[in-house]
Amino acid sequence: MAGKIRQMIDSIINQRAKDNPMLERVIKTKLILKGINPAKFTLQSDDDPVVIGKLEKMMQELK
Amino acid sequence: MNIKTALSTKENVDEMVSDIAGQLEFFDAEMVLFFASSAYDPRSVSKKMQDSFPMARVFGCTTAGEIGCGKMLDGSAVAMAFTGEAVKDAKIEVVEDPRDEKAIRAAFASFESYYKAPMSEMDPSKYVGIILVDGLSGAEEGLMELIGDLTNVTFIGGSAGDDLKFAATHLYANGKSYKNGVILALLQPGVDFTFIKTQSFRNLDKTLEVTKANEEKREVLEFNGKPAAVAYADAIGTTVEEAPKHFMHNPVGLVIEDEPYVRSPQQFKGDSMVFYCGVMEGMELSLLESTDIIGDTKKAIAQAREEMGGLSAIVNFNCILRTLELKQKNLTKEYGELFSGVQAIGFSTYGEQYIGHINQTATMLAFK
Repeated sequence: MAGKIRQMIDSIINQRAKDNPMLERVIKTKLILKGINPAKFTLQSDDDPVVIGKLEKMMQELK
Repeated sequence: MNIKTALSTKENVDEMVSDIAGQLEFFDAEMVLFFASSAYDPRSVSKKMQDSFPMARVFGCTTAGEIGCGKMLDGSAVAMAFTGEAVKDAKIEVVEDPRDEKAIRAAFASFESYYKAPMSEMDPSKYVGIILVDGLSGAEEGLMELIGDLTNVTFIGGSAGDDLKFAATHLYANGKSYKNGVILALLQPGVDFTFIKTQSFRNLDKTLEVTKANEEKREVLEFNGKPAAVAYADAIGTTVEEAPKHFMHNPVGLVIEDEPYVRSPQQFKGDSMVFYCGVMEGMELSLLESTDIIGDTKKAIAQAREEMGGLSAIVNFNCILRTLELKQKNLTKEYGELFSGVQAIGFSTYGEQYIGHINQTATMLAFK
């Protein structure tokens, strides 16, 4: 389903940053350093299993 | 004064430790962080330092040069002592294999048990981590990525050096010496703190996209679909043969909100290019050009001082490549003097850690 990556990125940022703009910048930097640039993904972006795998790993730590 | 530094240029371990301890006599140290040249026998440094401060948590590592008391030095040792008011609490964990995810998670579980709070919930304005890792491990990227997933608390630090011998670095904690591994220290400071990340480069706006890489080996095979060495040389405007002379002054960077996270070239390997830092397929790296380390570092410290309303102490993890450039330009005295107004120690690192693993940067933990 296209757009899954964008949704996952938004979920990670929302859950981890909790509306703190400084934390939001740090989390975006962490994502970019993982090779996932949030600016490059939209709700129309194709699903990439490698990227999804990395994001799933990050989301597991939130539980 | 809740944070105090000491410096020793004594060549003998016993004399060095005695010198440092003497300078910190009557200082009620709860924690002592130290950086020592690899010239000091690693089998005895840690124990002797811990024995000299029996009531304190003592940890540190070997270096590729030291910074302290307003100077940049080689072959010396520097120490920073913190009272219980400066650091309310500290928990130090040593993981002997920095690639061992299970052991890193266990260290974090230990932090959670000690502070009685989940790492994922800890307030990053109330806790800070210091990380010292074997600079020859090549494990820093995975380590920082895992730490970044586990917590919002910032872990800042550097990769231990060994005076450019590239034989063995050492980490010191618990009165012991560790040849491999990582020290993770989770602190609850009693004073405000901030981070300084400064690197002195201009973005030349030439993009080198990593189109093929051996990520495990920090090796780029192709930039922009061309052999990496050729693409880099073309971007510099020189030949492949001459290009290595440009490595120090023209590294590449992952530019995030106009700020480069530098990746320094190490060597050409055939047509490939090996870096001192992680490079991933798909990364769009920008070619950089070095600028003014003294001016930029001075500005960064001044900015932090202004934002915090004052600075009392800085721990500086300063890339060895910056140190070498400063030596080349005869500017080590000027760099050391940038820190003479505060209690400051630091060392020349084989890599720096702040959010991720980076090169040719000074990452600093600054206390109000």
